[in-house]
Amino acid sequence: MASQNVDPAAAAASPAAALKGSESGGSAARGSVTKRLQQELMTLMMSGDKGISAFPESDNLFKWVGTIDGAQGTVYEGLRYRLSLDFPAGYPYQAPRVKFVTPCFHPNVDEQGFICLDILKEKWSALYDVRSILLSIQSLLGEPNNDSPLNTAAAELWENQEAFRAHLHATFQK
Amino acid sequence: MAAPVNVQAPSKTWELSLYELHRSPQEAIVDGTEVAVSPRSLHSELMCPICLDMLKNTMTTKECLHRFCSDCIVTALRSGNKECPTCRKKLVSRRSLRRDSNFDALISKIYPSRDEYEAHQRTVLERLNRLHNKEALSSSIEEGLRQQARYRNHRVKKPTQESDNTTFSGGEDNGDSRSHLSHDSAPSNTPHPMGQTPPEAGPSRKRQRASDDGSGPEADSGSPTPPLRRHKEGPVSEIELVFRPHPQLVNATDYNQTRYVKTTANATVDHLSKYLALRIALEERQTDGQIENRGKEEGGDKTEEGGSGGASRSGEGSSLSNISEKQYTIYITTKGGQFSTLNGSLTLELVNEKYWKVRKPLELYYAPTKEQQQPQATQQQKSPPPQDG
Repeated sequence: MASQNVDPAAAAASPAAALKGSESGGSAARGSVTKRLQQELMTLMMSGDKGISAFPESDNLFKWVGTIDGAQGTVYEGLRYRLSLDFPAGYPYQAPRVKFVTPCFHPNVDEQGFICLDILKEKWSALYDVRSILLSIQSLLGEPNNDSPLNTAAAELWENQEAFRAHLHATFQK
Repeated sequence: MAAPVNVQAPSKTWELSLYELHRSPQEAIVDGTEVAVSPRSLHSELMCPICLDMLKNTMTTKECLHRFCSDCIVTALRSGNKECPTCRKKLVSRRSLRRDSNFDALISKIYPSRDEYEAHQRTVLERLNRLHNKEALSSSIEEGLRQQARYRNHRVKKPTQESDNTTFSGGEDNGDSRSHLSHDSAPSNTPHPMGQTPPEAGPSRKRQRASDDGSGPEADSGSPTPPLRRHKEGPVSEIELVFRPHPQLVNATDYNQTRYVKTTANATVDHLSKYLALRIALEERQTDGQIENRGKEEGGDKTEEGGSGGASRSGEGSSLSNISEKQYTIYITTKGGQFSTLNGSLTLELVNEKYWKVRKPLELYYAPTKEQQQPQATQQQKSPPPQDG
């Protein structure tokens, strides 16, 4: 019931709202985030998905490094990209910040590596996890959304797949 | 059997798939038949998709029938979109949920002791966590070893090893200030790795010498190339091993180094033995302050150790060409704490599979071969003379 009395605008605006929402102190919430991340790590290690991988960068479970292999049959085939995943304290109620570390020439990725993907923003759901994020980005590579490009040059070139592939592979740098 | 489903709620349109229209309900089992359910599928039924833990105070969405922990779904609704996290169906508020006490009862029937379950979960995760830390540790150890190997190669041209098709990197002579290890148990960080040296081994004089003797400066100047950060995945798998002096056959004052070696899995015991002989010969030389070889490369900036090596600089041939895999015998402990000699032609991979089996680095022991005449270089510091045959 209490939730109805919260100003929805305020709740949405405050990034800490999710954290407070767990009705416990910050450290306890952090504990539950850690637990969830450990669970995810375990599932990832068990699953052995091809084409994606992720692992905590160091001892800090809140920063991961992921890799995505370009899917077969797409222009990205044969290229491997590294990404960074930064988990907020409000995870999984808030999306992690995901960025390409390897420069990525793609209509929906900008020069800093930021990714325009709805599920990382307004379409985020607490059910998404590292695995589903990486798989989503992997399929975004092959199927860009050219209506709202971050990289207009890439969006224009996308029409010509051969030219796109040539440019992509010529400029690819780990 | 297809009953008219639509009639109950005339105000709503239920979009049912063909399957849903035609399926017949599962028969209830009443005769005590047991059905086996795999733990995994059971777990996926009983877990909350938000916290990935077992459901606690289950809440079910009224329309789409998805289940969550009460805390989880309330937090999700408060912090995110007003929709079902699983299927995005509109969830206006908490009133779109109902408490599912049947499900709670089911869970407590299956797992009568939640505490026990949680304790088990904790241990599993802790183990994973250790593994993850260990992985971070071993990758940094690996990097330290690689750097050491690099400047070692740079320092001394090893004719015997260049002909070998396997490469070794040993991590015993510490001193590498550049290994970025954050763990206290890091073997290459301290001259005396805590708890890793066999208890009978006294303070390692040789080892300290090795680090006093300029491996520090060399760590900075000796590796012109930036360190390789990437873990290179070779076609051949690698094997790590801990290499200790044989506690019974080796005098505590002599070969008191625990060595950490990483090499390719197809290396044989002979390779290892030869490598060891070479390492020891090199260290003897270093301790003795015989620097003629190194002096060439380092521009003679190294002054002599002033005889502080404790051993007489007798100039006996410490030539590296004497090195042979026959000088040292490699042992492994078997179940009863027995030491058994390893055949030189075995590959380390085979040894690992056959004798070791445990998922931790292989541990081997070494001692000078008894019936072999020791070359002068390695004999200098040994108190018991080799039993010449």
